[in-house]
Amino acid sequence: MGEELKRILGIAIPLIIVCIISGVALTASYDLTKGRIDAVEQEKITESLSIIFPGASFTEMNDYYSATMGGEVIGYAFIAEGKGYSSTIRTMVGFYPNGTISRIHVVSQSETPGLGTMIAEPDFTNQFSGKRIEDVRLSQDGGVIDAITGATISSRAITDTVRERAGVVMNETR
Amino acid sequence: MKLDELTKGVFRYNPIFYLVLGLCPLLAVSTRVDNALGMSLGVFFVLVSSNVIISLFRHWIPSQVRIPCFIVIIASFVTIVELFMHGYAPELHGRLGIYLPLIVVNCIILGRAEAFASKKPVFHSFLDAIGMSIGFTLAIVGIAICREVLSTGKIAIFGYTIVPTFTQSPSVMMILPPGAFLTIGIIMALINYRSIRKEGR
Repeated sequence: MGEELKRILGIAIPLIIVCIISGVALTASYDLTKGRIDAVEQEKITESLSIIFPGASFTEMNDYYSATMGGEVIGYAFIAEGKGYSSTIRTMVGFYPNGTISRIHVVSQSETPGLGTMIAEPDFTNQFSGKRIEDVRLSQDGGVIDAITGATISSRAITDTVRERAGVVMNETR
Repeated sequence: MKLDELTKGVFRYNPIFYLVLGLCPLLAVSTRVDNALGMSLGVFFVLVSSNVIISLFRHWIPSQVRIPCFIVIIASFVTIVELFMHGYAPELHGRLGIYLPLIVVNCIILGRAEAFASKKPVFHSFLDAIGMSIGFTLAIVGIAICREVLSTGKIAIFGYTIVPTFTQSPSVMMILPPGAFLTIGIIMALINYRSIRKEGR
């Protein structure tokens, strides 16, 4: 019995030690990078807000931002989150009080490199500018947005999320 | 002799074309040259660190639980790389996205830990890891060059255009998985053709 216990502990203890050391190393690097990662994420949001309404100042409401310039509300911005082809696509969307999109900007996504990732390129996102919220659909679904060849799922995901969320936020702002 | 540990991974035992390991990240990330370079950097760091650590502790790790130990060590290094990349190179992190965690299951790393680092001294394992990383980098960047040129009609690395646009109708297929299989197949065929001809002489 004593021999057997020794043998088992001889195998188990090294594994336990490896796990403990890994745990400590992971905790340390998580703590070291946490502040930095939060800053990076916050920076992304501020940066995309200023892309959508350049020069405006923003006040955070419940789940959207209202953009003001010279004391006057010029529009609203919010983050639309939706399931893409292989990741969650987060998009910053800005629209004017009259219901047209000002701009959209993809904050984060991990779609297929070189294919689905093209939804973040200006060639695609510029199509949204100046369109009515209800017209934001792929052209094959009867809308005005042209999908990216080979990445219809990603294109449809971002288009539908933007339209649906914009409709909801639009009602909230009234 | 020692130099051989370094160079064997680059050509003679190239992890991709000779050992045929690590094809999953190769297929997924070889669509653009800059993604391929980022992936290589991650693999380089994880492979060197895990090889050195595993070789250092090779006498203390009981053979019955060596695989769980290797996986825990490798997974920890990958997570550390991911955390630091997220904080300090957010651009690259955004692009490599889901492929970073995949380094854990990159069989080159577990393969080298099992076949080499767990049996050889630290310095040899260090050289082996560097050689294997260079071999992986050459393979993935080479394939990415072929695929990016053919699928976008140009090469742009981190925003700098290396090869200007030469065609307006590039082949979308090359960016999809079949493009990777075709490229790997053709390169592997050429390498084998060459080595068969060499033997024939």
